[in-house]
Amino acid sequence: MANDKENLTRRHFLREGLWGACLAGAGTAAGLSVARNNPDNMVWQIDPYKCIGCGNCATYCVLEHSAVKCVQAYAICGYCDLCTGYLVPEPKALDTGAENELCPTGAIKRTYVEDPYYEYMIDETLCNGCGKCVKGCLAFGNGSLFLQVRHDRCKNCNECSIAAACPSQAYKRVPADQPYLLKKVDLKE
Amino acid sequence: MYRASGKTISGLIAVALVIAAVVVGVVSILRLDTTGESGSVLSAEYTYDLGKLAAIDPNLILYAESRPPVGTGFRQSRAIALDTSGRIYVAGDRAIGIFSPTGNPEKLIDLSGEPRCLTVADDGKIYIGVGDHVEVLTAEGQPAASWNPLGEEAVLTGIAKHKDDVFVADAGHRIVLHYNAAGMLVGHIGEKDPDKNIPGFVIPSPHFDLAVSRDGLLRVANPGRNRIETYTFDGDFEFSWGERSVKIKGFCGCCNPVNFALLPDGSFVTAEKGLDRVKVYNSDGGFVGVVAGPAQLGKEGQIKLCNTPEECREGGFDVAVTPDGRIYVLDVTGNMIRVFQKKAAG
Repeated sequence: MANDKENLTRRHFLREGLWGACLAGAGTAAGLSVARNNPDNMVWQIDPYKCIGCGNCATYCVLEHSAVKCVQAYAICGYCDLCTGYLVPEPKALDTGAENELCPTGAIKRTYVEDPYYEYMIDETLCNGCGKCVKGCLAFGNGSLFLQVRHDRCKNCNECSIAAACPSQAYKRVPADQPYLLKKVDLKE
Repeated sequence: MYRASGKTISGLIAVALVIAAVVVGVVSILRLDTTGESGSVLSAEYTYDLGKLAAIDPNLILYAESRPPVGTGFRQSRAIALDTSGRIYVAGDRAIGIFSPTGNPEKLIDLSGEPRCLTVADDGKIYIGVGDHVEVLTAEGQPAASWNPLGEEAVLTGIAKHKDDVFVADAGHRIVLHYNAAGMLVGHIGEKDPDKNIPGFVIPSPHFDLAVSRDGLLRVANPGRNRIETYTFDGDFEFSWGERSVKIKGFCGCCNPVNFALLPDGSFVTAEKGLDRVKVYNSDGGFVGVVAGPAQLGKEGQIKLCNTPEECREGGFDVAVTPDGRIYVLDVTGNMIRVFQKKAAG
């Protein structure tokens, strides 16, 4: 016993400790990797840089009201008076009249900020994910309106029926702890 | 006998029902669209039909492409300008490409950064908006000057030289900078000032162009207001023209026109994004006709409409004109130079 204690030198102790720490680190990394790639920890999301606003999100979701909703990237939005995501292509007036609204469900709310800027907000209870506004904003504007799978609604089906019907392969699996793919600001673009 | 017959009939009905149910089930499964081939089947109310908006009355198209397009060789072409001899200058990637009047590549000048706009002065000097500052090259392409940087938010998208004055459109700061030819800042033009009746520039996206017209006035596109405004060199707002409309006579969408050039008679050649349209307006802003629309600007006869975010983001053609009225269109997505000439009358 006394011999054993004598044999456990400081150098031995540090070497063994270091090995132990390395093994513990490798184990933690492997565990995290497995957990991260575990199908249970992955969710479906739309890559906004691939989405073409085809409308399939509105009709292919297994839910009666699609889990896909339009979201607004305020940092990208031009706050335009003539917002092509909010107004029909040839509006009678640039105002909130129903006849001028592009959204068939009236899910976009327009609020005056200051001349000539307006803020646009999405009412998710009305949005059906058809992507009509996304297409209008993308074609003429900055593309600040885009579609995302909302995970307070999504059932996270193993085989997402919208993903199977997506013509631009915009659906992908992402880690559940980072479930949204948001557009980034690039002033130069 | 009757009972047996009734049982048989019941049995047959049951079998028929089962068969019918199976058939319906099989047909339903076979008809189930799991790949999205049949589309969203949403009604027209829920769809945005850009193709419908792209149609242009052929009688309004006054120009035709006069020769095959020329590739710029860039991955991202940005701006086009012509010199007095008709040579073509294209800014793209991190360089300036110079082409002969017939479109043959002559020279490539590397730059320190990404150019977004350029102009060629009568003496051959090249003025380029590079990143946050202006760079000047000699006619031979040698660096002559680099003007003071304008800050991180500066996005220089338009530049024009007139005698000893240089005007630079900064989309990031939404202002026109007035320099002298030596690069000294003389003043700012277009800052919102209700007392001077200056409306201020609305620039939702980095498209902001300007030019000096033959009447000695500065013409500046105000894309967020869908019009072209006129200023004196001292910064006084004079007047504007432009109509908001998706119809062919107007400028459509949130931010058009994105670029413009001036014909020798003072007419305007405008370029729009979203619906790629190049049109001519007279010097008072009256609609004259169409140079090219989405059908003429597409590749191999296809209508040019942006579908993917990438295509939409890169839109915004640039235009330049020759003294004899030919119109050069820089296709920034196809990286091509197209030349249009007025159709013969009759």
